[in-house]
Amino acid sequence: MFPTDFELYKPFFVTGLALGGVYALSGVGIVVLYRATGVLNLAFGAIGAMGALISWTLINHTSFPDWASYLACIVFGGLVTFAYGVIFGPPLADRDPLVKAAGTLGLTLILLGLMSYLWPPFGRTMLLPTSNYSYHVGFAGVDVTQTQIIGLAFGVLVTFLVGAFLRFTKLGTAMRALADDREITSTLGVPVRRVEAAAWLGSGLIAGAAGLLLSDLVGLDAVNLTFLVISSLAAALIARLRSLVATMVAGLAVGLCTALLTPILFWPNASFPVAKYQYASPFVIAIVALLFLARRRVVTVARTEG
Amino acid sequence: MPARGVRRGVDSGAARARSVSPETVVRAILIGGALAFVLFALPVLLSTYWIKVLTAVAIFAVVALGLNVLFGRAGLVSLGQIALLAVGGWIAARFLFLTSLPFPVVLLLAGLLTAAVGTLLGLPALRLSGLHLALITLMFAGVVAIVVPTTNFPNGGSGVLGHTESSLGSLAIRRPSIAHSDEAYFRYTVIVAALMFLLALAHVSAKAGRAWSAIRHSEPAALAAGVNITLYKLYAFTLASFMTGVAGGLYAGNVGKLYSYQFSGARTIDSVSLMAVVLMGGIFSLWGAVVAAVLQQLLPALLNDWFAFFRENPDFLFVIFGVGLLQVLVTAPEGLVTQFPRDMRNLGRLIIKPFRRRSGAAKGPP
Repeated sequence: MFPTDFELYKPFFVTGLALGGVYALSGVGIVVLYRATGVLNLAFGAIGAMGALISWTLINHTSFPDWASYLACIVFGGLVTFAYGVIFGPPLADRDPLVKAAGTLGLTLILLGLMSYLWPPFGRTMLLPTSNYSYHVGFAGVDVTQTQIIGLAFGVLVTFLVGAFLRFTKLGTAMRALADDREITSTLGVPVRRVEAAAWLGSGLIAGAAGLLLSDLVGLDAVNLTFLVISSLAAALIARLRSLVATMVAGLAVGLCTALLTPILFWPNASFPVAKYQYASPFVIAIVALLFLARRRVVTVARTEG
Repeated sequence: MPARGVRRGVDSGAARARSVSPETVVRAILIGGALAFVLFALPVLLSTYWIKVLTAVAIFAVVALGLNVLFGRAGLVSLGQIALLAVGGWIAARFLFLTSLPFPVVLLLAGLLTAAVGTLLGLPALRLSGLHLALITLMFAGVVAIVVPTTNFPNGGSGVLGHTESSLGSLAIRRPSIAHSDEAYFRYTVIVAALMFLLALAHVSAKAGRAWSAIRHSEPAALAAGVNITLYKLYAFTLASFMTGVAGGLYAGNVGKLYSYQFSGARTIDSVSLMAVVLMGGIFSLWGAVVAAVLQQLLPALLNDWFAFFRENPDFLFVIFGVGLLQVLVTAPEGLVTQFPRDMRNLGRLIIKPFRRRSGAAKGPP
């Protein structure tokens, strides 16, 4: 069954764009950190998940004002990422990118273990106050919640803000220099450690914000949110971990693709339930994109020999 | 660096061809003795529960061995080994229900077909950097984790998937005819695992091992030295996947029934924790794979037995693995296998030091 009625797809355009916006947001956070420090932060999702769980606890079990609880999620993301970067960044600085990424998997394991201990899995829901307001878009005939608008707008806005930051500020220029050549940058007198710490902090704040939005849009589940990072990674990889705008576009595309598969229950025949595989689409897209982008043979030369 | 690695390999190969050193003989006897103890004494000494746990250790030692060879020798990382284990288990279960082929033949088939899947997965390795490859395998793990709950595992049903929803129609996966009991299956598993270690050893200490070592140290240098990079990178993937496929078959026979929740989305973390324990065990020695399997399978069982805390929070173990992984990466890239004896030696020296000084002072001239 391949529904050809366009009406069926309409609501999924909205969810897809909102989700894609958050994928773009996470993707940008990942790419900026990778370019500035050479670390691919695979704990991005776990950090956001734990932040969201903390803010869930603050909302439901304390008398904290709601806005402070949401802020706590973002601040937690910033602090944990910053702390990891300051502690484990320098000792791993001149190791292989693979080892640096593996280190963040260590952080992922620690956070996941802590989350399963502190918040034993049972149905929790996070409803941001912005989800209570929805608008009816007349010409398209769909309902859009404020959270969905924020998801998309935030993704696009952060992409361009970060792009402008990298281009026009001194710190941003230093980060771009670091991305190009660390040794030359440090000989030019750029305080490498401090610039890196700033990148960790900024990327962490983005992780917190993305976790908060995803906990509303997708659901508040530690493991699920942790591995949602793979979807954002797919976007970042399609952009070859370089261009921010390409990351954003890829993020939106991945989000749209995933969501638009929802109404296609079976295709081409009853033995292939497409909708059940919809969440595999980011991975498939990324694998295909990587294979396509890597058509040319490259001999990699390791910079440092162990 | 690469030249030294290659030459060392050639030297040891030549030396071995001339004569077998006494050290090797002693080591072989020790390993043989340990194997005999495991095969004949343990099944008598331990209860069925612990025998099942140790069977799982033996199976995961083979999985860890695959990653150990891939990572430690060829310098390639796969974060999708548990997904490949699921593939191997699925293939083995399908053949066991579909045909009446002997169990070892099915194991071999599962190994070969999983090797084909793994080789396809390894194709990007030829063109991408190690980091991108690790991510592709992580995405493969993600895909498998999503596909498995829908396709499910064969349990005697009909059709291509061989899965039936009815609990009455479902059957247990058969074990080899010579190893029906848990004890016998344990021995069977240990012997197959030992064969896999021999297979790995045969590769590591031969031409393939030297080629991988050269590639790991510097691809351009390996290329210049005439190593067929494409072939050997793919071959590392094929070998690791073969081992994982065989382990999948053993796993299927051990548990009797495979359930999708064992490999579904939430368990993607197992591939990650496998990498953590393999690194903790040590990737530059094949023994590291045994240590890794003990950490991943025996340690949780022991902790469950000893502490109520771990019975209630089994996933808390991930915190330990995460800390261990970071510790290994930052301070001890060689892993427990090398680090632990060294630490013990240092500790011993530290304890002996004061005594030695005192005795030295007593002996000294007045």
